[in-house]
Amino acid sequence: MRIAVAGKGGAGKTTISATLARTLARSGKQVLAIDGDPNPNLGMALGVDADLLRDPPRVPRNAADEVKDEQGRTQRVLKSEFADFRQQYAVQAPDGVMLVHMTRVDHAGTG
Amino acid sequence: MRGVASALLGVENEVNLLDMEASIEHLARGTPGGVDCMLVVVEPYYRAMETAGRIVPLAQELGIKRLLGIANKIRDPEDARAIRDYCRSKGLELAVEIAFDDDVRAADRNGKALLDHAPHSTTARAVADLARQLS
Repeated sequence: MRIAVAGKGGAGKTTISATLARTLARSGKQVLAIDGDPNPNLGMALGVDADLLRDPPRVPRNAADEVKDEQGRTQRVLKSEFADFRQQYAVQAPDGVMLVHMTRVDHAGTG
Repeated sequence: MRGVASALLGVENEVNLLDMEASIEHLARGTPGGVDCMLVVVEPYYRAMETAGRIVPLAQELGIKRLLGIANKIRDPEDARAIRDYCRSKGLELAVEIAFDDDVRAADRNGKALLDHAPHSTTARAVADLARQLS
């Protein structure tokens, strides 16, 4: 299941994303939470230890390749196996949620 | 970066959840094109509703099949009615309505996860309901 959470800033996206991620993980699902915000705070909302969030691994811009599917549409796929990717970039959050950071504030304008 | 977010949404895993940035440019660029479900969080303020209203057609254009609204921070029946009316006018189905929750503010103030600070809060229960609807 692929879920995106959207809405105006301050509407409660991050609290709802974090709570939903952990609730689904508690029901036994393997959950990957992706922080797409340039000013990341999903980690704190998930309850990740502050020490782990001080300098979390950053996913490089070139981690994905573009490929064409049968309909000729552009799809993006990870260059590495997810298991390797996860080992390298995921921060462990409570209830077994894996967290990855897409962008950081010091990359603003370059993403 | 957006290409990576899109790639991550597509990895083989039971649940991939993207907390999107506030700007809707993301949507215009098609990052979440392949999602099964997009949740649109709506507050009972005109600008928040208006943002949600702009997300709906973009999401439809991307071919996202399941688009669900989440009414948040509702303080009274007027708030609930305003969101319901607005969402109905945009064709956005509301999955849950969440009352304004002081536990969310308190968790945030303390730098804690809502589920650790107040596991039985209004919001935590509403999200459990949402999770059941998605599963």
